[in-house]
Amino acid sequence: MDVLTVTALRKRFGPVEAVDGVSFTVGAGEAVALLGPNGAGKTTTLHMVLGLTRPDSGTVEMFGHDMTRDRARALARANFAASYLHLPAVLRVEEVLTVYAHLYALRRPAVRVAEMLELLEIGHLRRQRFARLSSGQQTRVLLAKALLNDPGLLILDEPTANLDPDAADRIRRLLAEQAARSGRAMLITSHNMREVERMCDRVHFVSGGRIVATGSAAELAGAYGVDDLEAVFLRVARGGGPA
Amino acid sequence: MTVAYDVASGAARRRRVAGIVRRDVYALHRNGGRLLDIFFWPVLELVIWGFVTAFLRANNVPIAVSMLLGAVLLWHAVARAQAELAMVFMQDVWSRNLLNVFAGPISLGEFLAGHVIFVAGLVTASTAVLSTLALLLYGIGVTTIGPAAVPFLVVLTGMGWGLGIIAIGIVIRFGEGTQSVAWVLAAAFQPFAAVFYPVAVLPPVAQAIAWAVPASHVFEGLRGLLAGHGIDWAGLATAAALDVALLAGAVAFLAHALRHARRTGRLSKFGE
Ligand SMILES: Nc1ncnc2c1ncn2[C@@H]1O[C@H](COP(=O)(O)OP(=O)(O)O)[C@@H](O)[C@H]1O
Ligand SMILES: [Mg+2]
Repeated sequence: MDVLTVTALRKRFGPVEAVDGVSFTVGAGEAVALLGPNGAGKTTTLHMVLGLTRPDSGTVEMFGHDMTRDRARALARANFAASYLHLPAVLRVEEVLTVYAHLYALRRPAVRVAEMLELLEIGHLRRQRFARLSSGQQTRVLLAKALLNDPGLLILDEPTANLDPDAADRIRRLLAEQAARSGRAMLITSHNMREVERMCDRVHFVSGGRIVATGSAAELAGAYGVDDLEAVFLRVARGGGPA
Repeated sequence: MTVAYDVASGAARRRRVAGIVRRDVYALHRNGGRLLDIFFWPVLELVIWGFVTAFLRANNVPIAVSMLLGAVLLWHAVARAQAELAMVFMQDVWSRNLLNVFAGPISLGEFLAGHVIFVAGLVTASTAVLSTLALLLYGIGVTTIGPAAVPFLVVLTGMGWGLGIIAIGIVIRFGEGTQSVAWVLAAAFQPFAAVFYPVAVLPPVAQAIAWAVPASHVFEGLRGLLAGHGIDWAGLATAAALDVALLAGAVAFLAHALRHARRTGRLSKFGE
């Protein structure tokens, strides 16, 4: 069964057609990417999936629950991290995670927080305030928060956007490892080709609020007659089509 | 066994509310500067009014000291409840944490319940401290008012919650630029709340407004009580009914603001 089914989503902000008829699915254990240039409509799509923005039309079904009618039931089994969101700045890392362990109604918050500190290798930061951490460390805490409830669907909006190449590479490796081990589904946005090639089974190219091409990284490169996703990206972003 | 309670169970609801309370308690604990807001300004006000009454009495102006100081103590409950509720919400906005909270399973009711519980504790603690101080300095405290102080404080705190929820709604509906409203909303009602003077001194239009404000019934009741007329239960009941109406209206407005913000994309902007 698909964990996420997005059908004909549309969203207009004034004159801007931010999302213009987007449909896709994420199967159990599948890693799907929305790849595209800035302003393509990736974040708006994710925010509609999460119920933060209401679509003008179209539907989102998560774990078989309609987002407009059964938001809590759907969101309890998903989780979210974004490079542009932070956590309460003055709280210590373990306090932040304890708060979210409660917000996701975990049975044993303290045990789960300890597990996450270990999994993300941030145990030594537990008593540091979130605001004092480096970007790489903050990203780890955000991911710890996003994995607390052992989500069946992990939604990530440009998870490595604020990181230097070394830190980004570590986070990617960690996420790929996690995904392989846990069998959880992921929906990731990115404009980083390498990230997407490495972590995702299926890539949707988004441009101007529409999905303009779909396939695995290799399939897309083949279809466009180029060597890698980066070349596909340039081709699509500049308005070109398949070879 | 899954790691979480069933999302609709009572245990899950209690956990989520407790999560919000914890967030607020940790944030207070980690930010000593807020103690200044909570205690310093009210103490300053108490001292100023103490001197004012001393001056008036020295000049033989017949004045009920207990009334002035009692009013300062009680109004504190409205102002603190309103400002603290707005504060705990704005902290999540400033930290860019709000979307993380709303991307989870928490309902608006649970979110508010957690903050409201925390604020109730805070108002109780700060009123107790202020009252003790007033008792030490001037021999007048909440205890001077007697048992009626409890329903008085409950009604006033309820009004503060209502205004605080409206302040949150305004920020969600109109954006972060309107946050100054969150700090002055209670003060805007003070002229109509009959805190330091009876409703009767107001012009007729203002009187009509004043009778719709829960606090004015409490302060009229306080004056009556200190003048030896006993507790005005009818006035208290009216104030409680106005509180319920205010809270219902405030929650409805906040729910509307949130729906509007989801539709226009403004909620999503709290991530920037
Ligand atoms: N909340 C919003 N209000 C108004 N316009 C928005 C809002 N969110 C996004 N947009 C606009 O919608 C378009 C798509 O934005 P976004 O979904 O953030 O793209 P991406 O994440 O792919 O960079 C952009 O033109 C952006 O300016
Ligand atoms: Mg984006």
